[in-house]
Amino acid sequence: MKTEHDKEIESFFAQLKEKDNEIQIPDFPKAKRQRSVNWWIPLGIAASLVMAAWFFARDEAVQSLEQDVIIITLEEKPNHELQFKIERTSELESWESPTSSLLNEF
Amino acid sequence: MQHEQLEQTVKALHRDAYIWARQCCRFDDEMAKDVLQQVYLKILESKAVYGGKSSVKTWLFSVIRFTANGSMAQANAILPLLEDYDVPDEMVSGYADQSPEELIQLLPAKQREVLLLVFYHGLTLEKAAEVMEIGLGTVRTHYDRGKKNLKKLIEKSRIEQ
Repeated sequence: MKTEHDKEIESFFAQLKEKDNEIQIPDFPKAKRQRSVNWWIPLGIAASLVMAAWFFARDEAVQSLEQDVIIITLEEKPNHELQFKIERTSELESWESPTSSLLNEF
Repeated sequence: MQHEQLEQTVKALHRDAYIWARQCCRFDDEMAKDVLQQVYLKILESKAVYGGKSSVKTWLFSVIRFTANGSMAQANAILPLLEDYDVPDEMVSGYADQSPEELIQLLPAKQREVLLLVFYHGLTLEKAAEVMEIGLGTVRTHYDRGKKNLKKLIEKSRIEQ
């Protein structure tokens, strides 16, 4: 596309290029690559899950008794017959006062 | 193309990229630095994606031109010169002391851009059309008109000297 007549223009641009050799080119910036995933979010979720698991999975306090106790409960069979169930244990997970019924039912 | 490969190619084109950015910013060094910084950030954050349809140089020049035009518009630095503007034939004084940079800035933006891309950066008219995001026929018109106008300006400055 360039013709003989373009020589004048070419010399003009050669002059411009020569002048541009004096230009100080800034350094190519050093790229600080950002992590594509912000790891704080998954780490936070993982920490919350661990805390929740620890909170719910920890053993409930089991009270050790100084001596064995006998637990007598009254159970109703399918044929509406009542029967005493007697158990002996040295650990008590829940305890109810034998006289607690008196608080409500006197 | 891998991101690292692209980064290496862009790094190799850094000088040309800076000069083109400067030319797009009407030879303003500070604005050119800002524009180039924005361009590199766009590439790093994958906001400007190389599709492989053209050469990296053509693509990079196109991103620079687009970003520079945005900055120039924000700075209200774009002069509303008509693209079909021709340098008047009658003698107008004041060209003698002008440097090549000042002289080429007298041309309308598209005429200036196509001449810089072809004569300074050695791109073909097809590549220049890609960078300028216009059709080949339109680029040819700006190219012919730009050459004619620049010749007139060179002659006038020579006569005055």
